[in-house]
Amino acid sequence: MAKSFQEALASGKFLVTASIDAPKGTDLEDAARMIDRLKGVVDALGVSDNPYAAMHMSPWAVCRLALEKGVEPIMHVACRDRNRIALQSDLLAAASQGINNILCVSGDHVKFGDHGDAKPVHDIDSVHLLEVSKGLKEGKDMTGSALTGSAAFCLGAAANPEADPIEPQLIKVDKKIRAGASFLVTHPVFSIEKLKSFMGHVSRGGVKVLAGVRLLVPEKVAQYRDGRCPGLFVPEDILGQIEAADMAKCTEMAASMVKSIKSAGLCHGIHITASGHEAVILDILKTGGIEAGT
Amino acid sequence: MIIAKRKPFNEIEELVSGAKKILILGCGTCVAVCLAGGEKEVAVLASQLKMALALKDQDAKIDELTIERQCDREFIEEITQKVIVDDYDLILSSACGAGVQLVSDVFDHKVVLPALNTTFIGVAEGPGVWTERCRSCSDCVLAETGGICPVTICPKGLVNGPCGGTRHGKCEIDPEKDCAWTLIYNRLKKIDRLGRMEQTRPPKKYGADQFPARLVHEAYRRRYE
Repeated sequence: MAKSFQEALASGKFLVTASIDAPKGTDLEDAARMIDRLKGVVDALGVSDNPYAAMHMSPWAVCRLALEKGVEPIMHVACRDRNRIALQSDLLAAASQGINNILCVSGDHVKFGDHGDAKPVHDIDSVHLLEVSKGLKEGKDMTGSALTGSAAFCLGAAANPEADPIEPQLIKVDKKIRAGASFLVTHPVFSIEKLKSFMGHVSRGGVKVLAGVRLLVPEKVAQYRDGRCPGLFVPEDILGQIEAADMAKCTEMAASMVKSIKSAGLCHGIHITASGHEAVILDILKTGGIEAGT
Repeated sequence: MIIAKRKPFNEIEELVSGAKKILILGCGTCVAVCLAGGEKEVAVLASQLKMALALKDQDAKIDELTIERQCDREFIEEITQKVIVDDYDLILSSACGAGVQLVSDVFDHKVVLPALNTTFIGVAEGPGVWTERCRSCSDCVLAETGGICPVTICPKGLVNGPCGGTRHGKCEIDPEKDCAWTLIYNRLKKIDRLGRMEQTRPPKKYGADQFPARLVHEAYRRRYE
């Protein structure tokens, strides 16, 4: 059995993680293939929760599949679609299935998704979700009622080192760490300087930071540029290069970011996303100098 | 105040279709100030409806009346001193949703239809511009957030700080709109209360926001209990 993500976090090694989307439908074959390909290469595999507010299969099913295949899953849980009752209920279901790594996020606004008339819930926020999950670990629900059994969660949160202004973001990150986040997954990083500054702030909290690396592709340059990808702030010079790039070049650029982040020695690992092109995650890692078992 | 917007004319036309006598009932308070349903707007709507019906060779009598407030029985009851309500096939109320309902309650044997879509509680930013400022959540956080409401101004209603989408101080869902938490951060810093933002705010108590809400003033409690 692979090492648990919690053990990997404590190991001190440079951590390799990635995220995939659950299928838009009932067919788990693509997800199964991705899990097989990434087995032994990633320390944990995230599964997004209705990414960009577009309706997909609930991530727990893919997380469960990953577990069965011997890959540590990180289940993303967004506050956008469920109230505090449903969130706790789903967290308990996940815990009962052995899904222990939970990434607590607010969730992109419904405006970005495919159900634009849906009501954004946001009953509780990501800080509260961390606190609630911590409570479930301690065997109690949000109201303090005792549970039968308790969750063995390893909790994570999102942060954006490139948010502007950064100060309010850092105040919130501090709250997330206090609420129980033991790892942070950042939004895609493009500036090592900003990552350095971010690390200077959060390193005091002892939290592990996985820097986000995103595969950028030419067909989405207009979306990156006009803000249709929330939290993704691609510098204009990179957009210019991506516009004229083929997939090999796009992969190489993402891999180059992996190398830069690793060689900077600032954070504890990376988190690769390649929305719509998950098949190249392995290539990004290989080109970025990360092989199975490294 | 309550901000409302007139329904699309086609929708109103469809709503009143077939009626021979229509009373358009204006409201002289919030919706008059926001230029949606006061005396002048009732006059415009009446003219539009008359022209539209005339073009279709439909004959209908359309009267206009604007009262002080449609959210208060006292004013609604005055209507009967000015017109004979039973003469009309329907009342087209250009009040907010609350006003439409109270008119419908008072004249519960009549068809009462809304001419407006009620949109938000807001303030006037300048001539003809209003912005939403309050979600009437019954659990006000303004004391902690420098007088800027994250429940209203942040599209996700986040109470502990911004999401990761803030860019140049603007909101991820609309680059024209300010990020609520950038505004709050700047305001708290300005008034030397940044420590308020560093404290984790508990989940909001939506139990206090159960609807339909009812509020009885302390001084009147004995009368209604």
